[in-house]
Amino acid sequence: MEGERSSDLLDLQKSQGRGITEFSSIFFCPTPFNLSRAAASSAMVSKESCRNEIRAAIGQLSERCLHSAAKWAGEQLVGIEQDPSNFTPSNTRFQRGSSSIRRRFSTNESISTPQPSVGFSQAATPLPEEDDVIDGDLYHLAKSYFNCREYRRASHVLRDQMSKKSVFLRCYSLYLAGEKRKEEEMIELEGSLGKSDAINRELVSLERELSALKRIGAIDSFGLYLYGVVLKEKGNETLARASLVESVNSYPWNWNAWSELQSLCTSIEILNSLNLSNHWMKEFFLASAYQELRMHTESLAKYEYLQGIFSFSNYIQAQTAKAQYSLREFDQVEIMFEDLLRNDPYRVEDMDLYSNVLYAKEACAALSYLAHKVFLTDKYRPESCCIIGNYYSLKGQHEKAVMYFRRALKLNKKYLSAWTLMGHEYVEMKNTPAAIDAYRRAVDINPCDYRAWYGLGQAYEMMGMPFYALHYFRKSIFFLPNDSRLWIAMAKCYQTEQIYMLEEAIKCYKRAVSCTDTEGIALNQLAKLHQKLGRDEEAAVYFEKDVERMDSEGLEGPNMLEALVFLATHFKTHKKFEEAEVYCTRILDYSGPEKEKAKSLLRGIRMEKTGFPSMDMEHFPL
Amino acid sequence: MAGLTRTAGAFAVTPHKISVCILLQLYAPSAQMSLPFPFSSISQHNRLGFYLLSLTKSCDDIFEPKLEDLINQLREVGEDMDAWLTDHLTNRFSSLTSPDDLLNFFNDMRGILGSLDSGAAQDDQIILDPNSNLGMFVRRCILAFNLLSFEGVCHLFTSIEVYCREAHSSSAQYDESNDNLESLIQHDQMDMEKYIMDKATEEIELQKNASGRVPFHLHTPEALFKVTEGLLVTRKEKSRTNTKKAEATQLACASSSTVDDTLVDESLFLRTNYQIQGFLMEQADAIETHGSSLSSSSIESFLQKLQNLAPELHRVHFLRYLNKLHSDDYFAALENLLRYFDYSAGTEGFDLVLPSTGCSMYGRYEIALLCLGMMHFRFGHPNLALEVLTEAVRVSQQHSNDTCLAYTLAAMSNLLSEMGIASTTSVLGSSYSPVTSTASLLSVQQRVYILLKESLRRADTLKLRRLVASNHLAMAKFELMHVQRPLLSFGPKASVRHKTCPVSVCKEIRLGAHLLSDFSAESSTMTIDGSLSSVWLKDLQKPWGQPVFSQESGSRKSSTFFQFCDHLVSIPGSVSQIIGASYLLRATSWELYGSAPMARMNTLVYAALFGDSSSSSDAELAYLKLIQHLALYKGYKDAFAALKIAEEKFLTVSKSKILLLKLQLLHEHALHRKPAKLIHLPALCDHLVYCLKFIHSNFVKSISGNLKLAQRMCNELGGLASTTMGVDMELKVEASLREARTLLAAKQYSQAANVAHSLFCTCHKFNLQIEKASVLLLLAEIHKKSGNAVLGLPYALASISFCQSFNLDLLKASATLTLAELWLGLGSNHAKRALDLLHGAFPMILGHGGLELRARAYIFEANCYLSDPSFSVSTDSDTVLDSLRQASEELQALEYHELAAEAFYLMAMVYDKVGQLEEREEAATLFKMHITALENPQDEEPNMA
Repeated sequence: MEGERSSDLLDLQKSQGRGITEFSSIFFCPTPFNLSRAAASSAMVSKESCRNEIRAAIGQLSERCLHSAAKWAGEQLVGIEQDPSNFTPSNTRFQRGSSSIRRRFSTNESISTPQPSVGFSQAATPLPEEDDVIDGDLYHLAKSYFNCREYRRASHVLRDQMSKKSVFLRCYSLYLAGEKRKEEEMIELEGSLGKSDAINRELVSLERELSALKRIGAIDSFGLYLYGVVLKEKGNETLARASLVESVNSYPWNWNAWSELQSLCTSIEILNSLNLSNHWMKEFFLASAYQELRMHTESLAKYEYLQGIFSFSNYIQAQTAKAQYSLREFDQVEIMFEDLLRNDPYRVEDMDLYSNVLYAKEACAALSYLAHKVFLTDKYRPESCCIIGNYYSLKGQHEKAVMYFRRALKLNKKYLSAWTLMGHEYVEMKNTPAAIDAYRRAVDINPCDYRAWYGLGQAYEMMGMPFYALHYFRKSIFFLPNDSRLWIAMAKCYQTEQIYMLEEAIKCYKRAVSCTDTEGIALNQLAKLHQKLGRDEEAAVYFEKDVERMDSEGLEGPNMLEALVFLATHFKTHKKFEEAEVYCTRILDYSGPEKEKAKSLLRGIRMEKTGFPSMDMEHFPL
Repeated sequence: MAGLTRTAGAFAVTPHKISVCILLQLYAPSAQMSLPFPFSSISQHNRLGFYLLSLTKSCDDIFEPKLEDLINQLREVGEDMDAWLTDHLTNRFSSLTSPDDLLNFFNDMRGILGSLDSGAAQDDQIILDPNSNLGMFVRRCILAFNLLSFEGVCHLFTSIEVYCREAHSSSAQYDESNDNLESLIQHDQMDMEKYIMDKATEEIELQKNASGRVPFHLHTPEALFKVTEGLLVTRKEKSRTNTKKAEATQLACASSSTVDDTLVDESLFLRTNYQIQGFLMEQADAIETHGSSLSSSSIESFLQKLQNLAPELHRVHFLRYLNKLHSDDYFAALENLLRYFDYSAGTEGFDLVLPSTGCSMYGRYEIALLCLGMMHFRFGHPNLALEVLTEAVRVSQQHSNDTCLAYTLAAMSNLLSEMGIASTTSVLGSSYSPVTSTASLLSVQQRVYILLKESLRRADTLKLRRLVASNHLAMAKFELMHVQRPLLSFGPKASVRHKTCPVSVCKEIRLGAHLLSDFSAESSTMTIDGSLSSVWLKDLQKPWGQPVFSQESGSRKSSTFFQFCDHLVSIPGSVSQIIGASYLLRATSWELYGSAPMARMNTLVYAALFGDSSSSSDAELAYLKLIQHLALYKGYKDAFAALKIAEEKFLTVSKSKILLLKLQLLHEHALHRKPAKLIHLPALCDHLVYCLKFIHSNFVKSISGNLKLAQRMCNELGGLASTTMGVDMELKVEASLREARTLLAAKQYSQAANVAHSLFCTCHKFNLQIEKASVLLLLAEIHKKSGNAVLGLPYALASISFCQSFNLDLLKASATLTLAELWLGLGSNHAKRALDLLHGAFPMILGHGGLELRARAYIFEANCYLSDPSFSVSTDSDTVLDSLRQASEELQALEYHELAAEAFYLMAMVYDKVGQLEEREEAATLFKMHITALENPQDEEPNMA
């Protein structure tokens, strides 16, 4: 395989003529040092070469009917900053105002200064086209059949063609035919117990054929991609991974292959063990893989780097928004999505995330506007249903919300967030068993979904089973140990009167504090718990911290008053009169019975300080 | 999706049913079809009819036979016309070449049903009554086919293709096996069949009259079919009689034969929900019965497949939980338990939920808590278990689920009684209101008692017979072990008399056994339906003719017989398990009260009758008792031999008690055989103590005889047992009792006395009255051995009085023996008194005592006589010699050299006195032999360690 790849590369170099150094640096860079250099050089040089590469790739991908990969590549192509050579008014119109954010954030020179690499516009196709002429006519027929979704017909037309391209299209359409039949069978065979043994019946023969082809080396990178997909379906993950890696190493522009590969990387160890050659596509892959593995900052860094080249890519923008959403930067996410919708008003992908943000901000009008828009665009997309569900949920019409989430799930059984959201709705409707069922399904689809684990815990807690719920809280914390909300939920569970394990609750609150609890529940609770357990010293420490926090955030309220009262009395009893006085005077700002108490405290303090009887105090001017 | 109600699966047409239909067509050809009528006799025709009847019955099972199996069965049914039958079957199948043929086929099927009103049938035409079993079957098939959409028909068509293809690939090899068939059953076959025929029609008539219609699950004539099956299957079974194995493998085969197939979807057809539930329930029973000896991976793969077929069948998760529980995989067990309850809300497949109570909006998560609590208990987390169970109590009160509450209370009392001591006051006090007021005042035992009473009361009002029975048993156990006191005694302590009451134990056991007579009240229809239908399938595979024709070993036969009866009246497994447990408990109580034969008999009854249906831990206990009995009454050689067998059977079971038994036996054996080498004994004893602690404090998962591991670990873990929480007190007591005995044997009297003293204090502290008696006896022994008879006397007397009030007759007898020995130790002038005491206890000792005790009594008797100044050896030598001879025989079996030497010494002395020199020499040599054996023990290690 090594030889084959390098021969491909030779072709590539020949056709490229001048681009040898750049490409060799991209393909063969064994050390991290080289990597950074390559990255730098690609950032500098390859804007143009990227464009050319993608252009050629789009042609090849759509030639092989890999439409979604072609779509993806097309999006990225347009995402690269305007090609100065064919600067037409229509293009500018398309790109104008495309990213106000981007303009704000991105460095100036990358936009304004023209690249020095104009000469690279000649850079040729990534892979040479082969044997176009031989079976061209039949291939065209098959392709049009394929495009009309008549897969079996397409594969039948190509039955005797031996060129790699034809073999690929034949196998690919056969695979899709099998998938289509499988989907149909799934509905036909649906029994009372959800019988779901429908399988793609073409898999066995496809695997046999592709493995035979691979053995004799008569397989191209597209074939390898298909082989990987087939292996993955058959459950042979390691082989599938190997095949996909081989495919993306020899032809990196096929985003389908990357995303298949990414779905097979379920842990960081697996991801790191992949032997991938360097290419800018790898960065895309890594960014998305990091995101899936909940390494959001790493993922953000990657996307930022990629934005240097693909400054206008909607895809990158959406993914960045996703990562930011996970980091709970809702305001920023909202701006990004607004921007995205301006550029691409008929986009449905990822819009469910936007609706979540709107939901969290309780922006009813905006949410209804979004729902209306996606409804008109394509109502039979799971995302659309999810958005509408969110809208109804915000409006408090939970039955309707459930209906739409259900519809979303009909369209995509593995639609994770719909399960979780449906669980939330059931919780609102006080139908806990149904909620638990929904959450559990989410968890079984993706065991790392901390939201669903949390939901399970909450549901059980609601039913008065706090001890049982603890297990679920523990699970959710395991997957997201840095979220103070989860720790607080667990602490509350320990605090319930049924369990009443205060020591454990204190431990949890401490963790919550160390995770920067934004709502400030933990400090207050810690102080109160310590107070309850009679540890005044600790309680005072936490009350002080809490007061500090509230001061810095400019908050007032009963919590503040409570803390102040406690601190004042505490310091007084411990004879620290200065501190006590400070707190007492603060209390005097408030009205109510506390004020009187503060006054009497102050009196007491002065008396103890001076030894004068309190009566005398009244005569001194304050 | 997330809904809670799921309807039962429907009756679906499958290739197998189509073959049955084809055969039915042959059996009752319609008028239009001009088939040759090849049946040579009426009986042959009837035979086919019966076969078809049993086929239609088993059609409701979860597994369906393949075409190949069907053809094989046909071979045996059809005799000389089997070729014709199979040919027709395969031809018919091959003529189905398009979906249209299927449509026509079912249209034709209609023809074989007679219409209800048409009386104008031809005389010789056989018409199926549409209301008969076969007719119903045909009608259901036709209906199910008519309901199919075209897609459904297409799917049926493809599955028929697969069905036939499989058979073709493997049918060739069976042709030659036809030749060597024996006509074993030719004789009186005709008569038998006539008899069966009459009986069957009678039965069916009866059923019809009783219910007005023929229920599809016609249970009663089942026995008859078994007989027919017996007739049918014998020839085939003849060849594989010797390959039969234990029940477990049979079951495993039943499931794995399908599991092994690579194409699951062809061999496994999903049935109605009820059938699957029943099947799964049966599997659950099997998991419990066979423990971890059942291969967990085979079950696992089977469950995996079942789950693929039916993702909405959440019971699978529960089975997986059970499986993991028994293979000691904590995390997987927990995961699956939670998953099961998350999905089903505890409403699927639990027959203890009465439908009338209905599943509310809230689900039945209290059952989840109950199960979780039991799981924690099993994995040795008593604290967690208690927390969870407390929550279960609370939640079931909240949802007013009294059934669950009763079960939870029972589980809780079980937990408390097993755990011994617990710092549970807070838990109980805060949560369970009836106990709250008094909880802090009560000891653990009293709390157990209250919980049991409470649970029993609820179970009684709810008519949960099984729970009532097991609660009665628990109560009997409690009464057996714990001294009954008035619960809240405010008066002076002196007025409270401690004693046990055998009558109440007996009463409780009897009450428990009532279950057998009225179990049917509770058992839900589902259980029976499901398990019976899979019995049907097993019957097709199992040699039912065996009890009649075979020459198998006795024990097998008896169990087969009982299985037969079991199926006949269809006692649920759980019921027979409880009944079995009552026998075990009886054995235990007899053991305590001191009747060895009764104990042995009850254990034997258990092992013989309930061994197959019991859970593995119960069966293990029975083995343990029997081996202990052997050791006591037959000597160690037999015991070790038996132990070997038991080990093979149970060591795979986790937390095996057998290991414990082995240690005990080794310890006893060592104590008896080589007191001379006692230097090593403390080491062994320590080892034992450590092991005991080790086993219990840690709930070793897979110790499986690996003593080396235990030894290595025991140093680290020795300290763990010191915490009182969660440690089995019985075990602790046993360990230190043995330690004291070892020290005694090593003649380190003061240490022994110290250990015994502290042990007594422990017993007192934790209210272990019965153990107190034996500790007192041990103290008396220690003082006797140390030559301090005066000190020993009060202990012996105290022990006797304890025994008396607790009805421990055997222990009392041996205490009396010790007392007598102590008297004699005070001087020969007390010989008369000692002899009187001994003679008082003799009946008990000789009737129920073990070998050692009996020998000791005999020797002591001789000693008394000899030291009695008024006794003359020369005149009355026979009395002495007789008892000495008895003693020496028993001691030799025990390999108890020390006492044996003493016996022979005395014998030699007596012979010397009497002047029988020859005998004297003989006794002397034997004495010498034992002494040498004592001083330099050979290396006849029992090689058990």
